[in-house]
Amino acid sequence: MSPIGIVRTVIAFLLLVVLHFSVRPLLGWHAEIDFLLIALLLVAVRVRPGTAAVLGCVLGLLADSLTPGAFGAGALGMSGVAFAASWLKAAFFADNLALNGFFFFAGRWAYAIVYVLAEHQRHGVELAQEVFVWAPLSAAATAGAGIVLLVLMRPLLEPSGA
Amino acid sequence: MARAVASGTRADVALLAVSAFVAFAALALPAHLRDPLAATLRRTFIAPLVTLQRNAELGRTALVRHDAETTVRDSVALRALLVPELEAENDRLRRTLGLGHALGWGFVPAEALHSRALGEEFTVTLTRGSRSGVRPFAPVVAAEGLVGMVETVDPTMSLAIIWAHPDFRVSAMSADGSAFGIVKAHLGSVPERYLLELSGVQLSAALAPGTPIVSSGVGGVYPRGIPVGRIISELKTSEGWARTYLVQPAVQPYDISSVLVLEPRRVVAGVQTVWAGDSARHRGPLPGDSVLHRSGPFVLPRDTVPDVPDDSTDSDSTSASRSAAQP
Repeated sequence: MSPIGIVRTVIAFLLLVVLHFSVRPLLGWHAEIDFLLIALLLVAVRVRPGTAAVLGCVLGLLADSLTPGAFGAGALGMSGVAFAASWLKAAFFADNLALNGFFFFAGRWAYAIVYVLAEHQRHGVELAQEVFVWAPLSAAATAGAGIVLLVLMRPLLEPSGA
Repeated sequence: MARAVASGTRADVALLAVSAFVAFAALALPAHLRDPLAATLRRTFIAPLVTLQRNAELGRTALVRHDAETTVRDSVALRALLVPELEAENDRLRRTLGLGHALGWGFVPAEALHSRALGEEFTVTLTRGSRSGVRPFAPVVAAEGLVGMVETVDPTMSLAIIWAHPDFRVSAMSADGSAFGIVKAHLGSVPERYLLELSGVQLSAALAPGTPIVSSGVGGVYPRGIPVGRIISELKTSEGWARTYLVQPAVQPYDISSVLVLEPRRVVAGVQTVWAGDSARHRGPLPGDSVLHRSGPFVLPRDTVPDVPDDSTDSDSTSASRSAAQP
């Protein structure tokens, strides 16, 4: 990746992180849009799987600091999702919005499942409800938002000379 | 080349393993280590983001609260609109309660229901009937004074004419007993239709505006001392032998809601002390009642009736009705 590409990716990443901490609380949806995961996947497909895993771990730990009761759960989920996304980057490189949306959806759902199982705070019906109802809804919202953001940020993410 | 790829893959897997190990270690941290670590991260690396999130949450809370507060404000405004009406109703009920306390016995409390039907403007339906002790020709009173008279009685309800009814008559006198006459509805045009007139007053009795008029008790239907109204002015009539006065009724039609129907034995016993003196005595122990701010009390002199001229052949509306009812 060229230095300019790195700078652009970092800008997009930071922009999405800011959105995560500003727009998401403002909306206050239960099925929330996970801008942080979109940002992670955006970077993960541009770096090696190991790097993506480390980035996911760091980002997850920082996010987990806001929920100390599940400290580490987000790091575990984001590490796995980022590694998998980077490993499957060939699919992401395809310029297909629907495919990108599917990976956002799958990534968010997988992250939610890992997070819920790792935090050990939900059981029984509540766990099933979170995994099979709210997590898919949140994944769908994230996928929708991810597609919109990819379209909006295409000039930023794709070098004009390419 | 293949070795490099394999090496890179091993490195990636190793980094994943390290990341997973760190994550599991964070999960396994005891609370006394985990919480300070999380707090340190919050206060350093992501402090601006935490502030951003808090401000966003405050903004959302403000938006949600704005809707709720708007709803509350609208509700309060709506209730505020109803307050004067409720206060007036409350005041009327308190005064009726005070009247009942002053009467003590021999009355039937009832609700007066108005009808807007044509021809029923001057009658009210009372929610009590013969089973409760209501009898035909019984006086209907409110805290302010005379309302009218029961006309027909059913077991559970009854009909009463109010003072504005064309057939209404009551023998009346000035509160000081200096003048006597017959009070009836003033059958004028609409603005004056809801006034009374005191006719048949002897020429020697000149009544000043504001003079209280009460029932005189002549005729035996209405007991003596029920406030009827106050003199407004003298009317010019063709009758040269008597004076006629326009009277402001003591009870306004819109005030007629909760009334008391006097029983026959209460009529016989009289109500002279009920409206006499400070009107506050009619009330229960309710300080600050608005009745205290109303117009002055009717003060009845004792034994002012004996000089009443015997012109009571049509002194009360019930006299005619009674004679008609007794063939």
